[in-house]
Amino acid sequence: MEKNVAYIALFAALIAVLGLVPQITLATGVPITAQSLGVMLSGTVLGARRGFLAALLFVGLVALGLPLLSGGRGGLGVFAGPSVGFIIGFPVAAFVAGFIVEKWRAGIGIASFAGALIGGVLVLYLFGITGMALVLGKSWPAAALLVGTFIPGDLIKAVMAGFITQGLAKLRPLSVLSRA
Amino acid sequence: MLTLTSPIETRLHTIAAGPKLAGLALATFGLMLTQSMWGIGGAALFVAGVYTAFGTEFARHGLRLLRPLWPFVLIILLWHGWTGEIAAGALIMGRLLTAVALANLVTMTTRLDDMIGVMERLAQPLARLGLSPRVLAVAVALVIRFTPVLMDKAGQLMQAWRARSARRVNWRVVLPISLMALDEAEHVAEAIRARGGL
Amino acid sequence: MSQPPSPPFAGISLEQAGYAIAGRTILSDLTLSLTEQRIGVIGRNGSGKSTFLRLVSGLISPTAGQVRVAGLDPAKDRKAMLRQLGILFQNPDHQIIFPTVGEEMAFGLRQQGLDKAEADSQVRAVLAAHGRAHWEKEPVTALSQGQRHLLCLLSVLAMGPNTILLDEPFAGLDLPTQTRLSRSLAALTQQVITITHDPAALQGYDRVIWLEAGRVRADGPVEATVAAFRAEMDRLGAADADTDLTH
Ligand SMILES: Nc1ncnc2c1ncn2[C@@H]1O[C@H](COP(=O)(O)OP(=O)(O)OP(=O)(O)O)[C@@H](O)[C@H]1O
Ligand SMILES: [Mg+2]
Repeated sequence: MEKNVAYIALFAALIAVLGLVPQITLATGVPITAQSLGVMLSGTVLGARRGFLAALLFVGLVALGLPLLSGGRGGLGVFAGPSVGFIIGFPVAAFVAGFIVEKWRAGIGIASFAGALIGGVLVLYLFGITGMALVLGKSWPAAALLVGTFIPGDLIKAVMAGFITQGLAKLRPLSVLSRA
Repeated sequence: MLTLTSPIETRLHTIAAGPKLAGLALATFGLMLTQSMWGIGGAALFVAGVYTAFGTEFARHGLRLLRPLWPFVLIILLWHGWTGEIAAGALIMGRLLTAVALANLVTMTTRLDDMIGVMERLAQPLARLGLSPRVLAVAVALVIRFTPVLMDKAGQLMQAWRARSARRVNWRVVLPISLMALDEAEHVAEAIRARGGL
Repeated sequence: MSQPPSPPFAGISLEQAGYAIAGRTILSDLTLSLTEQRIGVIGRNGSGKSTFLRLVSGLISPTAGQVRVAGLDPAKDRKAMLRQLGILFQNPDHQIIFPTVGEEMAFGLRQQGLDKAEADSQVRAVLAAHGRAHWEKEPVTALSQGQRHLLCLLSVLAMGPNTILLDEPFAGLDLPTQTRLSRSLAALTQQVITITHDPAALQGYDRVIWLEAGRVRADGPVEATVAAFRAEMDRLGAADADTDLTH
């Protein structure tokens, strides 16, 4: 029990920290942060259930008023804003990513890349675009167009999630709970 | 850790968190249903009035919290300027800004302890599923304790990086930080076990 | 304060206990009965002292033999161990789990069944008794390393266990704090088992165990054991100590 709680809490903290490390700017000029990489890693490293709970804990703390979202945002306001879909989608994204790593017994690197891609990009954008369409009163394709510029950055993150999970599995095989 | 609660004490600080949250939920729902320019405009004026009633410093803090919305405001302006549906655009923008400002108002005037209290009460039914409120409280405390610890570590890694490389820090720090999260989790689990486990 | 009566103290015993991890044996063949009031554990870096303490406290299970505390398996019966054992980790940052001093100290007391008000008032009492009343609301990050070490020790003392296990309790503490602390420790009615690199800290102890490469190298009264340890350390120091650091 305490082991699960500790891993879940530490990964919620990791998601927060990755949102606060400096963003990088892609060649296209679009700034991206590593926050959703933290969500992907929660799933690929901790597995579906714990990854879901880590991201949920993170989202809950944002709602309570901690400035943990990238750029130091937080509080209830973000749930009324255009990014609400992405934030609510975090736990689901982590769950799907973890589910794929648990069930697809390919090499951990490749399975983590696939999990991050499907959970952390595809599923997350489904939620994110839907939220944005609702809040901004636009059609779904129009909202998709608005966030499309961020997709290349998220593809890079999915690749990184694959490499990083593989690295962690090599360094701490017993701690990568999605495969332990 | 820093929270978004405003250090400027207002009358709203004295209202309990539960009623404030319930009121916010109702008001937000109302805003979503309102289709009239007058309704949204009135609500926006009211919220702006509340902010300014608490002083310019408080109002300025509130404005700062709205700043991340500027790209979306710009998009709405451009979009509706292009299609000519100015009124519809104003409605969407007004609703967005009012709803976010109202929610921020609750966050700014409610202490973290009180919010955690509400969360624990809401989570009470989960006790039957095996999640005791105490476990939740420990999890929250752990995040609050270890976010700055991991952040410090990230800062040190980036400094060490800059000391030895002319290139900008990149995301290579993510692996060591994740590794640290795993190791800290093991230590924390052991520290909890040392005091009886959960 | 309402605490359940603790079961009669039957001491700590190890029987042929050993511990191996990742294919490496770290402790082996330990058969000991730890009943004295004050026991010191000495040995070189990496000799297995901290692992020994974690084994005794039930944080790890022996991979060979068995460990018993008051007749119970300390690794299994965690709740019962709360009244029996309190352990101070070598690294305070591995021990602190809460953001503020008050919460950190109250956690163990709540674990023992006290309600929030009782726990809080006992925390205040312990802090005041050690001249640190102003710490209660402080974030743990505002404390120095040595102060965090003291916080961990106070958290353990607050719980009042029958046996207190200390892994280098004075490392990093300034002299006045060390003096005050050794006075408090000496006054304790409980059993204390202390790891230390400073033989002077063992004054007044009943027994010293010298660990070497995971085994008991010597075990007996303070004077004789410490003298043998000192002689060996001097011999190694003279003979370029680290040539044997090859394992
Ligand atoms: N989890 C582990 N995995 C692998 N090796 C370990 C583990 N824990 C301890 N060891 C090894 O066991 C040996 C004993 O470690 P321990 O920490 O008990 O030593 P110590 O006597 O407390 O040393 P010090 O005086 O430096 O604190 C060391 O060589 C250490 O590397
Ligand atoms: Mg040690």
